[in-house]
Amino acid sequence: KIFHLGACRVSMSMAEIRAGFTAIKANIQSRDPIRTLSILSHPHSLHKVKVERCCITHHLFTFYVDKVFKHCKTEDSFVNRKISSIANSFLSVRRKLGQCHEQNNCVCGEESTEKFKQILANYEGLNVTTAAMKSLGELDILLDWMDKS
Amino acid sequence: SGELYCSLPNPRNVHFESINMKNVLHWSAPEGTGDGVLYRVKYAVYGVGKWIRKPECRNINRTWCDLSRETSDYEEQYYASVKAFLNGTCSDWMETTRFNPLTDTKIDPPMVRVSSTDKSISIILTAPEKWKRSPEEVSVSLLQVYPGLQYNISVLKKKTKKRWFFSISNNTLVVPWLEPGTAYCVSAQIHVTTPLLDSDFSKEHCIATLKDK
Repeated sequence: KIFHLGACRVSMSMAEIRAGFTAIKANIQSRDPIRTLSILSHPHSLHKVKVERCCITHHLFTFYVDKVFKHCKTEDSFVNRKISSIANSFLSVRRKLGQCHEQNNCVCGEESTEKFKQILANYEGLNVTTAAMKSLGELDILLDWMDKS
Repeated sequence: SGELYCSLPNPRNVHFESINMKNVLHWSAPEGTGDGVLYRVKYAVYGVGKWIRKPECRNINRTWCDLSRETSDYEEQYYASVKAFLNGTCSDWMETTRFNPLTDTKIDPPMVRVSSTDKSISIILTAPEKWKRSPEEVSVSLLQVYPGLQYNISVLKKKTKKRWFFSISNNTLVVPWLEPGTAYCVSAQIHVTTPLLDSDFSKEHCIATLKDK
């Protein structure tokens, strides 16, 4: 699927990533006992904030590559394989978004910067493994938001 | 009332059943309990700090509770929970898995309308509407909810059992070069690529092309 993020065009195997996440969603979300806090949706849903799509997508893909996938090892090899497959897809999208960023096609406004700061604060409010597992369990929130464009 | 000591077996298989985003909580009675069990239901928006009781499902004896109104914002995700009461004792609260209305709903088949000329069939499809609180509320087509929504269409020539498949993004299709005076049956399915959602195929709508002039 081709995503038009402002002036930036990025192709992404969304169906494949979705299928991978759906296969491990129940397993991953069951490891997250905290109902009352969300990394991506607190205090406001990603959907309800007016942000530059390219900027937030670039920030979030970097966030997942650098701070989430690597801290989500489980004892289940099937789950681990799915996580690394998703991570590889994210890595290639992040690279393309990085090129857009370098060409100044991925500008960040105040609201986007603020929203991403909040996401990082939510993440750093928990210990790394808990925060990473919760973030991974919220992947569909990011994918739903991306699909909406 | 203070929390009772809860020794009753738990409600089982607490889960959402969702069709076109009509989201109904279902569960099974605790093992080994006969009649007389009552239930209470609460729900929570994921990431928001409080559980909310559902008054219409307080002390009910049925094993379902319609939470469509409470879960109608499909940009949020939800948990729901059920507790059983019998003869002064109770069970633990038993929770669903995280419910995402956007990906966890089932979509009905599209509505199919067909008309014919002597050599062609015209098919018009209508996607189902999202559940709404009341008839007066503005209707939202699932087409608006799922921008990538497509239709898969099957056309069967009854006489020869030959079948064609089409996949379209808009909602009309004209099938040309057909045999006059012949019966054809049409069935259609909704297909969303991401998130991956497929409806069942609709029942068949048969029509005959007009005889040659």
